Amino acid sequence: MITTRLTRKVTAALMASTLLAGAASAQTVNFWYHFDNADNPMSDLVAQFEAENPGIKVNAENIPWNSYYDQLYTSLAAGTAPDAALVKLNALPRLLEMEALEPLDARLDAWEGTAEIQDNLLNLTAAADGGHYYLPVQYVVLYLYYRADMFAELGLTPPETCEQFRDAAIALTRDTNGDGQTDVYGFGFRGGKGGHDHWASLVLSREGVGFGPGELTSAAGVEGSQFVVDLFRTDKVFPPSAPNDGFQEIIGAFKNGTTAMTIHHIGSSADMVATLGDKVSAVPVPECGGGRWTSFGDESTAIFSSAQDKDAAWKWISFLSSPENNAAFNVATGQLPVTKTDSAAWDLHEARFVEATVNSLPFATLLPNVSETADFANTVWPVAMQRALIGEISAEAMNAEIDSLYNK
Amino acid sequence: MSALSAPPVPLSRRVLPYAMLSPAVLVTLAIVFLPMIQAVWMSLHDYVLFRPKSFDFVWFKNFQTALADPVFWISLRHTVLWIVITVPAQMLLGLATALLLNQEFPWRGLARALVIIPWALPSVVIALMWVWIYDSNYGILNDLLLRMNLITASIPWLANPDTALYAIILTLTWQGFPFFAVMILAGLQGIPKSYYEAAAIDGASSFRQFWHITLPGLAGVLMTATLLRIIWVANSIDVIFVMTGGGPGYSTYTLPLYAFINARTGLDYGYGSALAVSFTLVLLGFVILYLRRAGRNIG
Repeated sequence: MITTRLTRKVTAALMASTLLAGAASAQTVNFWYHFDNADNPMSDLVAQFEAENPGIKVNAENIPWNSYYDQLYTSLAAGTAPDAALVKLNALPRLLEMEALEPLDARLDAWEGTAEIQDNLLNLTAAADGGHYYLPVQYVVLYLYYRADMFAELGLTPPETCEQFRDAAIALTRDTNGDGQTDVYGFGFRGGKGGHDHWASLVLSREGVGFGPGELTSAAGVEGSQFVVDLFRTDKVFPPSAPNDGFQEIIGAFKNGTTAMTIHHIGSSADMVATLGDKVSAVPVPECGGGRWTSFGDESTAIFSSAQDKDAAWKWISFLSSPENNAAFNVATGQLPVTKTDSAAWDLHEARFVEATVNSLPFATLLPNVSETADFANTVWPVAMQRALIGEISAEAMNAEIDSLYNK
Repeated sequence: MSALSAPPVPLSRRVLPYAMLSPAVLVTLAIVFLPMIQAVWMSLHDYVLFRPKSFDFVWFKNFQTALADPVFWISLRHTVLWIVITVPAQMLLGLATALLLNQEFPWRGLARALVIIPWALPSVVIALMWVWIYDSNYGILNDLLLRMNLITASIPWLANPDTALYAIILTLTWQGFPFFAVMILAGLQGIPKSYYEAAAIDGASSFRQFWHITLPGLAGVLMTATLLRIIWVANSIDVIFVMTGGGPGYSTYTLPLYAFINARTGLDYGYGSALAVSFTLVLLGFVILYLRRAGRNIG
């Protein structure tokens, strides 16, 4: 009797362990991404993918944007990285230096979806050696949002040059309810992390100004940063909180009418229209010092060299960049799809924002494709810009710090 | 002589305390001491996380760099301000609260429970809450001050380099004072009532009673609580990190935050560890004082 019971127990335990082993043999793709909005579509896309690819399980994890790259780099160094992740181009040099990326050239050649990717995107996202490690999944271009109603009220036209931009910002900065307090500011400047795009549009646009040796410390380069500092300290057209403001603050202030202009991309247009309706519109960023500069905002997926099952990971990331799936992905992120089919049928955004994006494309640029760019965006620019805004260092010193980062 | 000596303690009995302690000791060794030694080891190397293959032994180069680094000194100055303002402020507020809560009044139990709330809330929640309180556009602090005509224009408390550090210190004071209040309240209840009765008969005023009975009675508790708080406050970066991330510029950098940003965002674990180790050495004095007190109490 006892023996029988024992045998039964052992058999049950054996069966359970076999079942567990069976479940473990299903391939799992661990995937990291970052979405700002709460209603993200990942679970629907994952369910659809798993139905189409039995035997592959996708574990998609939404990582907070503020610490996304901190977490990614440390997990790669610690050997606990995901198999694939959403990545931006400015991280590519550093990821290559860490030897963390799986080359995708052979897979791209063999994939029928490659022809579907919009023409120049694969060139833009290639590494410096011409190899491909990234598969584009969405893109945006930064432009200038403005309050059409406030411009109309003051008889202003959207600025086309930096001078017009400054004049408009000064005119728009005012006390509208007569309590003696400024309650509308001309421009919502992002002085915190991620704000280098705002600065760059007003500085790197200038003739001969870039990240090369001595370019930022030239007269034109210093003039550019001084222009930004003066807008805050002398003209007072940014909200007083500008040195610390990040994404939430600039978008919030624009939506509630505290600012009349700001720079962001089509990803926030749906939200803006929901709050402001026809009162919000967009144009390309102004021309400053003889040229224009705006940021090409890319987002791709990549497979890490440490991935357990690279074929399964490729199936998942190529699924995200295939027609229809890519549209579903971009409906949620509010950005623009990378496939030709989805782009042709795209009707999610109001025409004026798509137009501002398309008109900005000719001068849309990426930050230098070198390892230092990660430090520029994460630490050097935010600290130097904040110190310049609060008057601790001069515009010249700020530019010198950035120059010495890139040209040691 | 031999008849007087105690019978030999059996081996199993002598081993038992060590056996019982060993799990806790092993865990502490693994999760506290091992990383500490690792940090010391890393601080003697050039170790940047995105260049995992280069791990060069450089002796004390990172420490020399720190001494010549202006941000190190800015951060150290902020750390000193951070400790010498926050801890006494927390203690005084905690002492006042404890004395109030020690009085007889209706709903005293409820008041004692409510006062613990700031201490019980997660730091991130507190930090986000206070970011909104200080906000220059919608913040309630600016709104109140404007309504009372104390200021004429909103102050960007966290974006202004002159106010940012003090604004965060106020937040941390609010978060930490219940700890003192609870500790001191417990201490107060340990002072025999008869002392006060005797003093009252001798004609001592309330202030004299407080000065000669309450304070000496609380000295032990105050000392231990203050030492503990110094160590905790010195190391605490979560509230600063969430409220300003160290900004604007370096206005709210403290040494542990600078070490954290270097290691985590800059991925420079060599230099980050050197900063952390230097700060540990600075704090070691307080740690030793605390350990000596703790040891004496047990003895």
